[in-house]
Amino acid sequence: MVLTLFLIITFTFFLVQAQPGDYASFYVLNPDLPPEVKDEIRAAFGLDKPAWQQYVIHLKNTFTGNLGVSFGNFPRPVLDVLAERVPRTLVLFLTATAVSFYIGFFLGKAIAWRRGGLFEYAATISGAMLFTAFTPAFALMMIWVFAFRLGWFPVGKFLDPLVWRGADVSANYVFGNMLLSAAAFITFALLVMLCLKRFGRRVPSVAAVPIVLGGALVIMAAWALSGIGGLALDIVKHMVLPVATLTLISFAGTMLLTRNSMLETIREDYVMAARAKGLPDKQVRDRHAARNAMLPIVTSLVYSLIFAIDGSVIIESVFSWPGTGLTLLQAVRSEDLPLVMGAMLFIGMLSLLAHVIVDVLYVYLDPRIRYQ
Amino acid sequence: MTDRRDPLLTVDGLSLSYQTRQGEVQAIRDVSFELARGSALGLVGESGCGKTSVANCLMRLLPDNARLSAGRVLLDGQDVLLLTEEEMRLRRWRRISMVFQAAMNVLDPVYRVGQQIIEAIETHGVESTDSAARERVARLFRMVGLDPQLMERYPHEFSGGMRQRAVIAMALSCDPDLMIADEPTTALDVIVQDRILRELKAIQQQLAMSIIYISHDIAVVAEVTDVVGVMYAGRLVEMGDTSDVFRAPAHPYTAALMSSFPSVSGERRSLTSLPGEPPNLSDPPQGCPFHPRCAYATDVCRTEYPPQARSGSHWAACWHPLDATLVPQS
Repeated sequence: MVLTLFLIITFTFFLVQAQPGDYASFYVLNPDLPPEVKDEIRAAFGLDKPAWQQYVIHLKNTFTGNLGVSFGNFPRPVLDVLAERVPRTLVLFLTATAVSFYIGFFLGKAIAWRRGGLFEYAATISGAMLFTAFTPAFALMMIWVFAFRLGWFPVGKFLDPLVWRGADVSANYVFGNMLLSAAAFITFALLVMLCLKRFGRRVPSVAAVPIVLGGALVIMAAWALSGIGGLALDIVKHMVLPVATLTLISFAGTMLLTRNSMLETIREDYVMAARAKGLPDKQVRDRHAARNAMLPIVTSLVYSLIFAIDGSVIIESVFSWPGTGLTLLQAVRSEDLPLVMGAMLFIGMLSLLAHVIVDVLYVYLDPRIRYQ
Repeated sequence: MTDRRDPLLTVDGLSLSYQTRQGEVQAIRDVSFELARGSALGLVGESGCGKTSVANCLMRLLPDNARLSAGRVLLDGQDVLLLTEEEMRLRRWRRISMVFQAAMNVLDPVYRVGQQIIEAIETHGVESTDSAARERVARLFRMVGLDPQLMERYPHEFSGGMRQRAVIAMALSCDPDLMIADEPTTALDVIVQDRILRELKAIQQQLAMSIIYISHDIAVVAEVTDVVGVMYAGRLVEMGDTSDVFRAPAHPYTAALMSSFPSVSGERRSLTSLPGEPPNLSDPPQGCPFHPRCAYATDVCRTEYPPQARSGSHWAACWHPLDATLVPQS
């Protein structure tokens, strides 16, 4: 892990170094600026040192947790900028990936179970069309239809300044609290399901729905009473369109993969045995066929998550969503070296983390895999 | 209500075909037999003769391209082929259970073995509480010779023999009236095979359950069954008490099948293999389907399907039965 991280830092560093120009060259076109000043700027940021020396300093700083100061957002430290931007990206893409995975898996197992219907054709064709759509064009089309023509959702950005005028709390504070509530809700829902599974095998899983919904209501009520619920709603409204776009583009991948995987497991003897045992059709499909079909799909989930975060540059620019992708793009354009490095480092760390999570998930899902 | 002397299962004129790209394949043709309560029936024959298709018909677990063209399957006098899917579902495992041919893959790899048995017990409401269901599984495990603690293990932690025992325990879990054992021991080595067969026989007698053994191995069938039916090309060609059939086989096919297996206790004789292939079921030969491979075939065999030649409960569908005591029925 540390080695991979080291390689990521090294590669990105030299890749960025290989680009022509530096921060000071921005001022080349400014005729009022004498060359001495440019040199001074270079010296101030350490850009006059040879590349290998910069690399060593950078490496040392990175491993001591110092990512430097952003040139473009001077004097904010890179870490501070990223701490604000990374959660926004994560929330956007985790939500979209979760929703598209759920929809894709649900549709995939349904069309594999009842083959050859009109529904299968409709789902496969529309899914494949969305899957192959050119992302920026599709995103712009979504904006045009739902934001411009219908006016249901805002055109882009993270929040609406008109709503926030006079608000005595910062957007980061509201967003931070939203993250906390979401985390609390997910933990609560997981705990409820775990308890039901542990203590009452005979309790149908439907019983979890009202409890979980109750929890959601409590959290929503707390937001409504806190007085900043309107502000949170504004952020949510800004999230809907990018999440929907991402979901529509990516659900078909999971759907087609689930379908193929299901068609394999359906032929397995244990599915036949489950049917012979007289289990209800739905139980055969969900507990046996789909449960086993899920294994290869979870692997694909990591890659789709990483691709999604990589693709954040495109989606975030189109929707002007101030996350890691947009930050990276702006940093590259303004030669903001530390911020570029920092953003790349975070994206690399996220993919590493995704791999670890999937490895752990796999052990939980497949008892045949046990790490010593 | 139902008389104990009535047969548990009556299969009457069952015919089944599969639609394939090469045309219609007649997997089962006009198969009829009866099975008494508590008795063991064997179905033997080469691969592809329709044995497993008969089993799948009884369970009503047929692939989409299968078509039942005629016949009735009466379980306690009720035709299971006329039941709705939901009615059939409730009878599966509760009334008829099955030990599958490929027992290695019958257990779902992601669940504990015990849990997979409890699943069946709960679906059919055989036990009302969780602890009672677990107790039942422990009892079944002891019955098939497995340590009850193994129910917490996953299938991949089991050996082949252990899995086979677990699958048998699973088939017994809902006290079925009839258990179909489709090649129950084919994948096992001979010693384990023999032990499991003995145990199955003992369990069957202890529970007064009916069993249908399906096997290509005559030795297995001879050891554990009361009645045996020999299948060839989708037809039942000879049937009778196991001792009668194997002492004096009447159909040339049965005789050929027997002479291709060694006898441990009987006199030393040379083994003969049966020449030729079973017929293509999408285009079966006219007359007796066995005539192209039969040493005794005459003109009538090539044109007309033979009537049953019968002596008591022993019958064979042959124009020239080898056992002269069998009298052709017109």
